[in-house]
Amino acid sequence: MFSKWRNRWNAKRLKDEHFAFLFEEDTSGEVVVFDCETTGLNPKKDEIISIGAVKIKGNRILTDEALHLFVRQEKQIDQESIKIHHIRHCDLENAMPVKEAIEHFLHYIGSRPLAGYYLEFDVAMVNKYIKPMLGITLPNLQEEVSAIYYDKKIPRIPQGNIDLRFEAILNDLSLPKMQAHDALNDAIMTAMIYLKLKNIKKLH
Amino acid sequence: MIALLERLKADVPFSFLDKSGLQSIEEAAQIAYYQKGTQLVAREKMFEVLYFIIKGVVEARQGDELIDLYHQDDTFGGIELIEKQPSAYDYLVTEELICYEIPQELFLKLCEKSRPFKEYFFGSVVERIEMVKERQESAKMAEIMVSRVERSLLHEALVVDADMPIIKALEKMESYGAVALLVQNKEGYGIVTDADLRTYILHKEEKGFQYICQIQSYPIISIEEGELLFNVLLLMTGNSIKHLPVTDSSGQAIGILTLIDLLSYFSNQSHLIGSQIENAQDLQSVIEAAGRIDVMIKALHHKGIKSRYIARLVSEIHKKMYDRLFEMIFPLEWREHATLLLLGSEGRGEQILRTDQDNAMVFAEGFAPEDKEIYLQHFTEALDAIGFPRCEGNVMVINPKWAKDTKAYKANIQRWVHSPDMEGLMDLAIFYDAYAVAGNKKLFLMLRNTLLDEVKKNHAFLPHFAKAVESFESPLGIFSRFVSEEGHKGEIDIKKGALFALVHGVRALALEHGITKTNTTERIKALNNVGYMDKEDAKNLIETLEVLMTFRLHARLEKLEQGSVPDNYIALESLSRLEKDTLKEALKMVETFKKRVAYHFHLSMVN
Repeated sequence: MFSKWRNRWNAKRLKDEHFAFLFEEDTSGEVVVFDCETTGLNPKKDEIISIGAVKIKGNRILTDEALHLFVRQEKQIDQESIKIHHIRHCDLENAMPVKEAIEHFLHYIGSRPLAGYYLEFDVAMVNKYIKPMLGITLPNLQEEVSAIYYDKKIPRIPQGNIDLRFEAILNDLSLPKMQAHDALNDAIMTAMIYLKLKNIKKLH
Repeated sequence: MIALLERLKADVPFSFLDKSGLQSIEEAAQIAYYQKGTQLVAREKMFEVLYFIIKGVVEARQGDELIDLYHQDDTFGGIELIEKQPSAYDYLVTEELICYEIPQELFLKLCEKSRPFKEYFFGSVVERIEMVKERQESAKMAEIMVSRVERSLLHEALVVDADMPIIKALEKMESYGAVALLVQNKEGYGIVTDADLRTYILHKEEKGFQYICQIQSYPIISIEEGELLFNVLLLMTGNSIKHLPVTDSSGQAIGILTLIDLLSYFSNQSHLIGSQIENAQDLQSVIEAAGRIDVMIKALHHKGIKSRYIARLVSEIHKKMYDRLFEMIFPLEWREHATLLLLGSEGRGEQILRTDQDNAMVFAEGFAPEDKEIYLQHFTEALDAIGFPRCEGNVMVINPKWAKDTKAYKANIQRWVHSPDMEGLMDLAIFYDAYAVAGNKKLFLMLRNTLLDEVKKNHAFLPHFAKAVESFESPLGIFSRFVSEEGHKGEIDIKKGALFALVHGVRALALEHGITKTNTTERIKALNNVGYMDKEDAKNLIETLEVLMTFRLHARLEKLEQGSVPDNYIALESLSRLEKDTLKEALKMVETFKKRVAYHFHLSMVN
């Protein structure tokens, strides 16, 4: 009830009615898994470098419709994040202004539910831009894969500590690991985790 | 780029595609997840996509019978999509599956664009095998360029002190048969080779040479162990040097590499070893020369020479070796009254790396030298020294059973053929593969004629003989579980699993047709010549044998390099997708051949 009310309130503040589709009922039967690469871990200060997203439908990851956007940087990317993401300024030649990237992304997700690993952060990063642009925050349903994992795992290890690191989850689910650490490949790996978790009843 | 696609690109058939082809896969393929137990495609249903396994196992089944298995990096559904045929089998997920699904439309477009890509799906066994071999060969060609200096290539380094009188040093060089002298100076080594001796002879009076250090070349060019042979070749050619000292990492000399050895490593050492054996003056020289055969095999294999040619080359050298050993060890009169037989793989000319000592002696009727045990013992010990392990089944000349006169052998033949028991059938198989290598070979040829005549008279015995092809299960069943025998997880025994059945089936057919060749390839060709088998079947069978032997050689060499004992096990993990495919195809060929043999000899009616 409360969330419905909050959603309506959110919708009311929408400044641009071209984006009213974000609030329509979702009938696609799809979920979007997405991941952002950023210049740092502080949504207030840091910027999005790239966004990777894939849709999941049924037992399939629709890699044929994958989205991989690069954002043009106004500031220099610092050395540390270059090391992690292997993205350098020269890689961003096909990059677009952040506003354009966000618009692409919104059209891609529509009103589909979102899923991700540490999704809260990625959503906060996107909200940082759409709040001033559209007056709203992302209204989509959100599913945190590490939370799904935790719920399936906890009956097995009631008092135990559950390792929720990305690598640890991939390992535990014996999913293939990919070397590349870019937004799209991280999103695909997250999508595999999501698919598997949705398909199995319990974890061993 | 989706990182998972990198794996797909790495191997045939996808490696045949160009960039735009791969790009189109990236734009059209989806990743799908299936739980264990899912039926992917049912029998009589159409494929809609081409499957490429990222993770998991899929079985193709026909009722209860397992037809094929697909693992990580395997592709299936290609032929059905191209032919627009319904599936002949049920495809069942037996281990949680994550796979790429490439839409039919795109797949067919790719087939149109790339001929090799399409042909891969149609390739007969032979063609697929050729593809693997081409790939292996090009890899091996590259490998010889990255071979490194090893101790086995080196001559011993003879080091003398700087103040040693020249004549004394040269005497030492002569007595050691050294190719060059290394001179130990205060700082580093100097070298004395034949070229320096020329200077010495021409100028010794005027310059008053006394000590070895006065005629040395100093400082020297040397290299460290482990240097790339290719660089060494450049260095020696560039500096016109024929003898290159090799040091260990601390600078200590460990040997001398000669240009001749290096060049023969790059080409072919067989001639060298052959002449060394022929010219050997004593047992020790024969043993040393034979020790270099392994180095030669390694070089040849690295160059991508087919294993049956290597085997032939090796057996030629071994023949020379046995001939020489026979002359050196046994008394003169044995040459007329005895003949040495090579048995087993050596008799068939299929031995590559040294396996067991498998040999026998045939004496002329009534020839029974008193001290024969001593000589036979000597002979066996010489083979020990060369590095031939003793035969576990005790099929060796030191076993009286395998060193007797023609009369005794003839009695054996009668028993083997007319009242066959397990042991007799095995002995017969061993004897039929025998090759007379030294001494009076007529003694053996006569015995073999007797054998073939007896078999002709009693064909009823052949099914009993052939029955052994069914002794071992095919490892294709084991594939799915990756559990082989105890202590051999993830490995298959290629000898038990395939080679034995192939070799023995051919042996049984050859025996029936009175073929006198011992080599399995030659026997298959002969079976084609007598009209038992058509050319296509013969070719497939020969290629299958070749593939199995190549796999075995490869695995054995690898084990040898790791310092473990070579055996017949092949680690499945170490094989690429295409190699696994090829091995599977070869194993299937062996199964088909086993069925053919079983049908031919009505084995189902034999206990």
